[in-house]
Amino acid sequence: MATLHVLSHSPFSDSRLSSCLRLLGPTDGLLLCGDAVYALQPGTAQRQALDLMPTGIGLFALDEDLCARALAAPTRVQVVDYPGFVELSCRFDKVNSWL
Amino acid sequence: MSKSLLIINRQSPWSGPSAREALDIALAGGAFDLPLGMLFLDDGVFQLAPAQQSSALQQKDLGANLQALPLFGVESLYASARSLRERGLEQQTLTLATEVLEDAALIALIDRYDQVITL
Repeated sequence: MATLHVLSHSPFSDSRLSSCLRLLGPTDGLLLCGDAVYALQPGTAQRQALDLMPTGIGLFALDEDLCARALAAPTRVQVVDYPGFVELSCRFDKVNSWL
Repeated sequence: MSKSLLIINRQSPWSGPSAREALDIALAGGAFDLPLGMLFLDDGVFQLAPAQQSSALQQKDLGANLQALPLFGVESLYASARSLRERGLEQQTLTLATEVLEDAALIALIDRYDQVITL
């Protein structure tokens, strides 16, 4: 039962990202949207943690939130648009939104 | 067969409406006999701390309401061992009987449920 975890809060202002990373199963996915894409800011501990994620875990980021913040996604991260967001939500068995 | 739902409750009782909303979801679901579980994670474990005085903040006593969970059939209650340790809380002092789980067991727990929501 693979889970898509959806984060939308900045990893610099709370602990959702670090808690989520500890609770990821081996085939889970992580979608960053909203301020959560700041986790991809180069040179940060958060970015480093994402770079070190096992390859079995799908990493995704929402394109428009990256563009708005002038962030580039590393090749490890698949950039998706809103239709892609929907497709991901259907591909995984369940979606866990960290509200 | 109803889908099972795990509610991950990760806000302190005093940080805003999230803690009470998580409880409301659980009680509503329990009243309809949905298979529910609740996991206290991160600051959510503070909801289980003993001797809190909600009246000091002119608020309702969330701790008392949490006691209603088993009465509503929500008996699958879990707490993160790491979150408790980080916050200096001990299992035997908690106001609600919970199964305390390490991270690996929490991954398996989330896996087991059909649906998950984190508040």
